[in-house]
Amino acid sequence: MADITRQQIGSLLAKQGILIAFVAFLIGFTIANPKFLTPDNVLSVIRSSAILGVMALGVTFVVISGNLDLSVGSMMSFSTIVVLDLHDKIGPALAIPAMFAMTLALGALIGFLVGYLKLNSLIVTLGMLSAIHGLTLTYSGGKNMDIADKEGTWFSVFGQGTALGLPIPILMFVAVAALLGLILSRTSFGRKVYAVGGNGTAATFSGIPRARTVFMCYLISATCVATAGLIQASRSLGSQNTVGQGLELEVLAAVILGGASLLGGSGTIFKTVIGVLILGFIQNGLLLIGLQFYVQFIVTWVIIILAVWLDIAAKRGKLMSPIA
Amino acid sequence: MTLRTTLIASTIASSAIILAGAAGAQTMKIGITQNNVGVDSYQTTYESAFIAAAAENSDVDAVVLDAGGDVARQIAQIEDLIQQEVDAIIIWPTNGEAVIPAVRKAHQAGIPVVVTNSNIAEAGFDFVNSFSGPDNITQGARSAEIMCDKFKDMGIEGEAQVVHITGQPGYTTAIERAKGFEDRMPEVCADVMIVDTQPGDWNREKSQQVMEAFLVKYDDIDGVYSGDDNMGVGALNAAKAAGRDGIIFVGATNFAVGYEAMAAGDYWGSIYQSPVDDAEAALKTAIDILEGKELPFLNYFDTPKITQDNMGDYTKPVF
Repeated sequence: MADITRQQIGSLLAKQGILIAFVAFLIGFTIANPKFLTPDNVLSVIRSSAILGVMALGVTFVVISGNLDLSVGSMMSFSTIVVLDLHDKIGPALAIPAMFAMTLALGALIGFLVGYLKLNSLIVTLGMLSAIHGLTLTYSGGKNMDIADKEGTWFSVFGQGTALGLPIPILMFVAVAALLGLILSRTSFGRKVYAVGGNGTAATFSGIPRARTVFMCYLISATCVATAGLIQASRSLGSQNTVGQGLELEVLAAVILGGASLLGGSGTIFKTVIGVLILGFIQNGLLLIGLQFYVQFIVTWVIIILAVWLDIAAKRGKLMSPIA
Repeated sequence: MTLRTTLIASTIASSAIILAGAAGAQTMKIGITQNNVGVDSYQTTYESAFIAAAAENSDVDAVVLDAGGDVARQIAQIEDLIQQEVDAIIIWPTNGEAVIPAVRKAHQAGIPVVVTNSNIAEAGFDFVNSFSGPDNITQGARSAEIMCDKFKDMGIEGEAQVVHITGQPGYTTAIERAKGFEDRMPEVCADVMIVDTQPGDWNREKSQQVMEAFLVKYDDIDGVYSGDDNMGVGALNAAKAAGRDGIIFVGATNFAVGYEAMAAGDYWGSIYQSPVDDAEAALKTAIDILEGKELPFLNYFDTPKITQDNMGDYTKPVF
């Protein structure tokens, strides 16, 4: 009897280690500052995590397919700047689809290079990180972009509006997560993504179109980036060219924190959402505690590494590597 | 690109010298290597203002270069300028430490060096003739004065609570402005409490997140000081979204968005720092040195206070 309970706990830990770590960590911060878990604060954290979160959802597909996407930060800057610029030139109704088309074109280029030309995704997306940053600066001439009439535009709804009592960015995050979660877990395309990332050669011999699957993953990632850029632009109605700089690493951290393997083949949308929330709540929690900010850098990453370790240890059933 | 720019520049420069020689005037050949034109509107405006100022002065012949944020490229550009035997070099350092050896080389070649906008590290001061730029400590102090005066008008100088959003940790401008503000506030408004300080990294979105956390943490916030207006407007957006009125926002480096928020009555004041003044001051400093005038080592240009009360005296910033 005792053995069974122990096994059950073990399997629960192995499956939901990251979720348990998340709950433990919420309790810890709430004890440190009771304001941490108030509805206002929780909503404001989720709302500001939504931008990073939507990007992480797309990158989850790329990572499961066995590739990386380091270009999402500068691609988000690009989307934000483009949609803000076009807003005043052709109006929001046309600016949004135009921005999506331009961002998807970039995603298609990366997907072509990694999927069909089989170039290393780390190098391609690292290169695109710089190239897209240059493209954004060329486009804007380095100037900050601001919408002229900030009060009078309906464009602000995506970042600042509410529906059903909830901020729109949260609803968009939930909607995209639900849609992509269904695609990943309930469609044949989703299974192909796992197959390609788990064992690409085996997938090819099983008749799975490897190149097209990878290509589609980058298109999904670019769609998510464009959505994030839309929320970002709408939230502040103005932006500098470097708004997404450095986000690629936070996005990747959220995806890995959720338990996706960098080697591909594993990960889920739900766990990525948990990873995103952990990151958002750590940053907010440390601010509320009022820790000196130099120390915050250290503590943030200590917590992330600790969480990844606990997750892996729970899966292995051991704290140390079994083959060390 | 660098080589081509240099070749074109030197061709233009030599023809200009010949023309000037024919005219009998003495031409000063002044080279500038900038930090990263195009990365933000301030630097973009600075460059065009510098070129315009140089074109206006018939005695000046300018070689305008940009390091694109790359230290190695900037060092190579300084060496190019030494080779070209320019009369003076103006440098906007990409990195306060790494450029020192190149600056020393210029100094040893007998070429006067002016540092513009952001100073190099103290170890290099011996090789620099003058620093031309804003005084960030004074800017921070002036922001404290603007905020204190407003609190006195409102009659809350005895109890006001202030939060402080700084620029990127480790950046000289961020450190100096923070120091100026935090040292000056107790001198002018002894009872105002600075209750929290966190970095907004010069980023509007980051600053908005920081302010959201502050609003949860503190039920009573009377003033927000941000290291520049870009961050200040982020904080303002957070306060507006949370429905918290009556907070006095003071920034630095007045941006167009800050100016507009002041015009709308949402944002109280800032420090007016014009990239045009910055560029013109750098060029004038170099010319003054070449003409043998005595200059202070720290040759600051004035960055006045701007608030809702006097903003009519200033044009809207272009960045």
